[in-house]
Amino acid sequence: MSLMPTLAILGHELWGLGASWLVRLWLLGSALATFLMLAGDWTVVMSAPLIARLLFSFLVFPWFFVVIVLGISPVTGSRLDALADGILSRPVTRFEYLFACWAARVAVVLGVFLAVALPAAAIIYLAARKGVPQDSVTPYGIMLSLLLVSLVLVFLVTLAFFTGTVLRKPMLAAVVLVFAWFPINIVLHEFQLEEFSPISLSQALPDVLRTPWGGDQGTDGGLSRADAEAIARLGKFVAELTVGAPAPREESFFDKGDYRDFSLPRVVLGYGVPTLILFGLATACFARRDL
Amino acid sequence: MDLAIRTEHLTKVYSGRVIAVNDLNLEVPVGSVYGLLGPNGAGKTTTLRLLLGLQRPNAGRAYVLGSLCSPAATSVRQSIGYLPTHPVFPGHLRPVEYLDLLGKLSRIPSEVRKPRLTSLLRAVGLLSATNQRIRTFSTGMRTRLGIAASLLADPPVLLWDEPTAGLDPAARRFTLDLITDLARTRTVLVATHILSDIDQICDYVGVMHEGRMIFSGSMREMKQRLRCDDFSLELDGSPEEIRRVAEQAAALPGVTAAVRDTHTIVVQVGNGFSRAAAMAAVLNLIDAGNVSLQSLGSGQNETEYAYLQLLQEDVAHGFRRFDLTSAHVADANIGDSGP
Repeated sequence: MSLMPTLAILGHELWGLGASWLVRLWLLGSALATFLMLAGDWTVVMSAPLIARLLFSFLVFPWFFVVIVLGISPVTGSRLDALADGILSRPVTRFEYLFACWAARVAVVLGVFLAVALPAAAIIYLAARKGVPQDSVTPYGIMLSLLLVSLVLVFLVTLAFFTGTVLRKPMLAAVVLVFAWFPINIVLHEFQLEEFSPISLSQALPDVLRTPWGGDQGTDGGLSRADAEAIARLGKFVAELTVGAPAPREESFFDKGDYRDFSLPRVVLGYGVPTLILFGLATACFARRDL
Repeated sequence: MDLAIRTEHLTKVYSGRVIAVNDLNLEVPVGSVYGLLGPNGAGKTTTLRLLLGLQRPNAGRAYVLGSLCSPAATSVRQSIGYLPTHPVFPGHLRPVEYLDLLGKLSRIPSEVRKPRLTSLLRAVGLLSATNQRIRTFSTGMRTRLGIAASLLADPPVLLWDEPTAGLDPAARRFTLDLITDLARTRTVLVATHILSDIDQICDYVGVMHEGRMIFSGSMREMKQRLRCDDFSLELDGSPEEIRRVAEQAAALPGVTAAVRDTHTIVVQVGNGFSRAAAMAAVLNLIDAGNVSLQSLGSGQNETEYAYLQLLQEDVAHGFRRFDLTSAHVADANIGDSGP
């Protein structure tokens, strides 16, 4: 089977997405937001929560909306006419078309995410920041976290892709996703189900970032989480003795929750299997549609 | 007779409510130009989309060059060049980029694709516009690009939907001449409601009305149906004199005549009377009178008249249009698809 049509559609979609203002503005906006976040928390927040905070913006808010909009568009609204006239009246199967469109969206979303998050995480990991206790973030933990967030982004693109395909109207699909997915996400978060809820996964990310190769929280190249917390407590105690007791500070979002039972296979299956199911359903739905 | 396109009891009902194509049996011979004629909403475009596999029939089957049409039948689409009524293009692309994309979709290797798209752009007169984005194209340029796109894979069957819609006279002439040229090596199915186009280019014609095929045959058979028994004569002279000639003509055996628009007489010859003899008598009256003949013609364009007659007959048939034999054959599964 020749891959020429699939690659042609993929290239066409990538070109179109790359030229769209939405993607360009998203890239610019996310880079700017990341810079401001880093600048604001540079001397305050430890490495793991700081990276987790950066990733939160892609997982939950605000870039969730952009990912949804990008995922919805391929086979909805007026695009269907152009599709039928130009592409699907050619010797191309609907699966080839859908797969290429989906792959293009996934590639763009991951491209923007990695272009922004990877350099930011590397800078945080490599930089020696004065006044901030050293954290036990590992390169493996960073790669694992980026992979997990990528997996969730692929899931979100596929969710939007499926909803757009089923509902046909892009605006309706966006509204349904925003008003259905967020409440579901919050409910799942109540049970700390990081394998289903991106909010919970965000909270688990500091632990993931400190995971060394092999999964054991060793002390090679940095402090373990317990050590880092102990040092932070000690620093706080010393500061209280010398400067006086500060106003009680609220516990950070990333300090809440208990994710010591974090399981990588469970999380991969939790997002991977629904992704496959949603893509299969979208394909089945589109294959039966009259154009 | 080898058939390029064949449908058997093809039926399409949208959402279980709107009957778009109703028990359609269509046979298009290889190498012919077949005109699919019908008013708006007759089901012409739906028929073409069923052949392309863009839609699924509720009942019946369609074949192109012997292969069954369906959404998965890429081999069928490989042999079809489709031109939609108002083609929608990605406006940000240039014509070469667009045709190159379509060439890749048709799995045409690069060494064949590149020279072919260049020669096609030259053939349709778009070579000077290769640097323009498609969104800046006029309707005529878009249609020509659509024509080039439909010919890119060198398909043996062309399905063109209203190819002359919205074109100026020169572009229309170009398109009709092109169809005549292409028909030497291909089968062309043209869906249209412009009767003069059919008249000029088609060997065969099918008339659709409310989703049904109410006539299918050669152009000669179509015109044989014509009862060409009315003539309009445009005269020059005083209105009184013209009225007097009309009264004299009406007195001739088997002839009814009436004045229309002051200077025109419409003459109808009754069944069983010689049209030539009747018209000769009327012309003699004009010659003898104080009027002169400006023009003489049948009341309407022949094809148009035959077409309208077919539609009127179809409506007049009423419940007799229901064909009990076809109801047994069609294994209808109506109501499970949307528009």
